Amino acid sequence: MRAHSTLTRRLLASTVPVALLLGLGANPGLADPMIGTNINGYGIPGAIDTPSAEMLPDATLGATLNYSDLSRKNALVFQILPRLTVALRYARFDSRPNGNSETRDHIWDRSFDLRFQFLDEDPNGWMPAMAVGLQDFMGTGFYSAEYLVATKTINPRLRVSAGLGWGRLAQDGGLGSPFGDRPGPDTEEGGKPNVDQWFKGEVAPFISATWQANEKLALTAEYSNDIYACETGIAEECPRGVWLSDKDELKNNINLSASYQLGENYQVSGYLLGGNHVGLQFSVAMNSSQAPYPSGIEKAPAPVRPRVAPSADPDGWSGAWSADPTAQPAIQKVLSDALDKEGQTLESMSLSANRAEVRIRNRRYMQGSQAIGRTARLMTRALPPSVETLVITTSEDGLPTSSVTLRRADVERLENSEASQIANVAVISDADPRPGDLTYTDGLFPRFRWALKPYLSTSIFDPDEPFRYEVGAEAVAEYEFVPGLVLAGTVRQRVLGTTKQEAPGNLTVEEYEDMDTDYDENGVPRVRSDSRMYAGNSSPTIPRLTLSWYAKPTETVYTRVTTGLIERAYGGVSTEVLWWPTNSNLAIGAELNRVKKRDFRDVFGFRDYEVTTGHLSAYYTFGYGIRGQLDVGQYLAGDKGATITVEREFANGWRVGAWASKTDLSDEEFGEGSFDKGVSISIPLGWGTGEPSLRRVGGDIRSLSRDGGSKLRVEERLYDKVRDSQAGKLYQGWGRFWR
Amino acid sequence: MTGTKMRFMLGGALIAMLGACGNVDSEEGSIPGLLAEAARQSVAQRGRAEAEVVAKADPGQMAATALRVNKGPLIMVGLERAGTTQVLAMTGENGGQRTYMTENEQALILRDGMLAGTRGLGHDLSVAEMAQSSALIRSGRSGQANRTMRYWTGDGLERPLKLECSIGPGPKPGVMIEDCKNGPLEIQNSYISQGGRVTVSRQWIGPDLGYATIQELRP
Repeated sequence: MRAHSTLTRRLLASTVPVALLLGLGANPGLADPMIGTNINGYGIPGAIDTPSAEMLPDATLGATLNYSDLSRKNALVFQILPRLTVALRYARFDSRPNGNSETRDHIWDRSFDLRFQFLDEDPNGWMPAMAVGLQDFMGTGFYSAEYLVATKTINPRLRVSAGLGWGRLAQDGGLGSPFGDRPGPDTEEGGKPNVDQWFKGEVAPFISATWQANEKLALTAEYSNDIYACETGIAEECPRGVWLSDKDELKNNINLSASYQLGENYQVSGYLLGGNHVGLQFSVAMNSSQAPYPSGIEKAPAPVRPRVAPSADPDGWSGAWSADPTAQPAIQKVLSDALDKEGQTLESMSLSANRAEVRIRNRRYMQGSQAIGRTARLMTRALPPSVETLVITTSEDGLPTSSVTLRRADVERLENSEASQIANVAVISDADPRPGDLTYTDGLFPRFRWALKPYLSTSIFDPDEPFRYEVGAEAVAEYEFVPGLVLAGTVRQRVLGTTKQEAPGNLTVEEYEDMDTDYDENGVPRVRSDSRMYAGNSSPTIPRLTLSWYAKPTETVYTRVTTGLIERAYGGVSTEVLWWPTNSNLAIGAELNRVKKRDFRDVFGFRDYEVTTGHLSAYYTFGYGIRGQLDVGQYLAGDKGATITVEREFANGWRVGAWASKTDLSDEEFGEGSFDKGVSISIPLGWGTGEPSLRRVGGDIRSLSRDGGSKLRVEERLYDKVRDSQAGKLYQGWGRFWR
Repeated sequence: MTGTKMRFMLGGALIAMLGACGNVDSEEGSIPGLLAEAARQSVAQRGRAEAEVVAKADPGQMAATALRVNKGPLIMVGLERAGTTQVLAMTGENGGQRTYMTENEQALILRDGMLAGTRGLGHDLSVAEMAQSSALIRSGRSGQANRTMRYWTGDGLERPLKLECSIGPGPKPGVMIEDCKNGPLEIQNSYISQGGRVTVSRQWIGPDLGYATIQELRP
């Protein structure tokens, strides 16, 4: 353990022993890089306005609100890899009325940051940690800056950072322009990485020191060459005239702050900029590895029941019982009831003298291995002793994905041992799509499920009204005729909310309806930009009503056909095929849809716009839980192009990803943002509550609803349906086998 | 987000296990019927359908009642940090490893009385690999041992905590002490053995759960 580790982990680590536990992981070579506890105004580790080379603990999700009379910055931060931090910011700055917003004197703008720590500190030598960062690196670029920074721990209480900054960090004190002049900001549609600006223009130094006065209080001082030129009306240093405001100029380049730690997860600080502007900041951070109940609070599993000696049960060991046709139904009933209590549905079963296969639907556990481990133990309790081979096949709503084959003797021998031991003797293979000897459990099909519940839908990031919501009641029903053939629907009734029906652009709803067109002024079909026309309906709506058929024609190929009202704005037919051998890192899929735009108000009516859309997709799983996805095809507006998605999924089920789509629509045709992009986050509910559950919370943060690069929103695409029970994910969560 | 709250139900729930043999019903005689019945009983054992709840009792009363109602092996477990005491009944035995459960199906796993795991407590010990310690403690010998405690962590993995332990007799006669440490972490377990197994002990479960006192009520 490094001398400063308890201090530096303080922000997120709860107690020394837990930090110890995490620090002493199975891979000592993968120690955390230098961890920062002081959050700067941009929501990432640093001083006040200047950055440091520090990281957050891997998989930390944080949020920061930073208010002063010069700016309001709200940031989300995620430590996506141990050495890579990403931040998404929604900031408000004052602006003179201009062409884009005649009515507003301020702008709410989104921006992204990246920081990569390329060198870790040598705690015993002189070598500091070093990082390179891009701040607000695409789009408008109000906060755009780049930096190279080094951070050194002087003693356990004192850290010093120094670096060179470009852009905003070099508004003052420039040392020259080593890489040439910095071009002006993108004044067109925005939304693209401003590669031409990076590390261009004047470069200026910055330095900061953070002193940990005690376990709770930290004091920070920095010398910053970010002099808030635009905010304080220094025209020659402000990249755009419309950004100029008239606040008092900073008196000097020194900023001071005091930050106080509240509990494990919160930090509050106050700061003074240039001797005359005060500000306040509040940060919250949670680490995905620090769940309130890390092992879950679900009941203990039924223990393995070892077999009696053959002499004590000669009939059971001989296998003679298997000739009796009533044997299997009786055993299947018992096993089905027991599995049901464990949150598993026994869909079907085959049983012979020495082999049993069960097909289970996991309704409860985020880690498939836990469902499989519990099923294996129940099988040892229910099956006659001659059954030696246990095959547990996961059925994803009727799609048999992977089969885990275990020797019963191994389950008996390795119960409650380190999970890797049973992993070494388990075999995961592609499930046979149609073995002849499976018997469906009595009374399972047809299966009807329904629920009546409240719903809340929100929309954020609207520049005029950053938060809108709608509350109402929702009825959800699902009827499964046979495994894989499902009729599913949702009916919603709005009760109250602030969302309302709105037309695109500056049109009123009546004007837009009178125009009776599905195309914008550039001739681009309005496939998403008029999506608010569907909102604010006070009569019942049917967001979805579909008949879906899922099938597995061969051991490695899955298919789907979905027809009906597929999503709020489109109905039609969607077809999909996916090739994915369970032990393969690569999966390949194809999707073809023919859909028609739904009427804004008439539940079963359609508008005139009809389109064929579809993609070829490749999915690849890299190490570290990182997966990449490339989709190439034709989008809803008939535009052709590709989408790249990168996502990291952790063993606990957290998912964080980002995507970008570029199509043959020009930037002008696409409009503000230039192309479709966004980030997504998904957190298992059980992670927060400890109760086992497959439910997730989270969502997408995307650019404004534009028409280019938009896909049909089909529920339960094949990849998402089968991914959790494929070998890669099973192994990632295998540690829960004996839980 | 402090999560050390225990899920042990407080007070006087006691465990009443189903008898080892039930009445064989109308399927008597057919092999599948017997198999099914055996399977049903086996599976139902953990259901404890006949569980009775008695008014809050002191540990002595709790133990006495449990011993009267339940015919199988029993232990009484106190969790120091949570301040709870419960009687646990054996629900499974496999190769020297015994699983004991509370009425609401939280479990302790013991090997010869040495704590080998917990289930359902929120900060569970997945497995304790302590064969070296166990051999020394149960034979009353002094010596050094390594033990590995594995936990389920919030990131979805099973992570080891390695401890270096020294084992020797304590100040009280008949009590063996196991002192373990890893960096700043130091713990001390104490054991009384009888007939080659630990019958009374105070053992550390993990960083969040702290110590448990475990007493054998019926072997």
